[in-house]
Amino acid sequence: MNEQRMLLGRIRTANFIIQETALYLDTHPRCQKALSVRRNAVRERDDAVRLYESKYGMLTSCSANAGDRWSWVAEPWPWEG
Amino acid sequence: MWIYEKTLQYPVKIKNPDPALAQLIITQLGGPDGELGASMRYLNQRYSMPYREIVGTLTDVGTEELGHMEMISTIVTQLTRNLTPEQIEKSGFAPYFVDHTTGVYPVSAAGVPFDIKYIAVKGDAITDLNEDLAAEQKARTTYDNLLRLIADPDVCDPIRFLREREVVHYQRFGEALRVVQDNLDARNFYGYNPEFDKKS
Repeated sequence: MNEQRMLLGRIRTANFIIQETALYLDTHPRCQKALSVRRNAVRERDDAVRLYESKYGMLTSCSANAGDRWSWVAEPWPWEG
Repeated sequence: MWIYEKTLQYPVKIKNPDPALAQLIITQLGGPDGELGASMRYLNQRYSMPYREIVGTLTDVGTEELGHMEMISTIVTQLTRNLTPEQIEKSGFAPYFVDHTTGVYPVSAAGVPFDIKYIAVKGDAITDLNEDLAAEQKARTTYDNLLRLIADPDVCDPIRFLREREVVHYQRFGEALRVVQDNLDARNFYGYNPEFDKKS
């Protein structure tokens, strides 16, 4: 598996944990276990996103790393497979 | 994948309720030229669009339209706060109230529920972008018509912002159409459909 796919996989996994804990915490706002799982996932996501964007371009249209050339439309769209 | 940000694109702070006005403005959520149709139109047209930069335009405008749905819904909500039964009856809001209370349900000004037939996805870059250009102008006209009927500056202000965005989107879609045509044979733009046919 190439590094770009690997990083997107890390981001997707972290995103899912962040999404899932958010859903759970909406109705269980004091659950320390969920808060802790979420903290780790957010850290993991931040690391993976920073690495991804430094090498492969913007992940969202509000990325900090736009660089000297707008890379938002240059990389493949997700449905291109 | 989308991430929700807990802020409106442009602030909405309406002090005085006006249910009759809410019933008109809700058309820009669920009416034929509303923001719900706008976002569905662009986000669905993206997948077969062969030019990356235009996928960008469709994605980014379609995403912004989701934010506009939220602004219209906020305006409707703030215009229908703290209503008395008397206000509901006198304002003509009663038919909507009976069916939806003060919940936000996507209907047109005439009360017709949202219909996906308001949008088109033809799978042809020139055709779809012309649909998008027309859609932005129809939304702009609707905002102009609303502005003729609105006196409250608290309501005018965000509606003017939304109207201005229609003009900007029209401009961007015009550029997108130019990009498509630059990629086609200038002697016959309709010689093949870049979303389906292979370039000969």
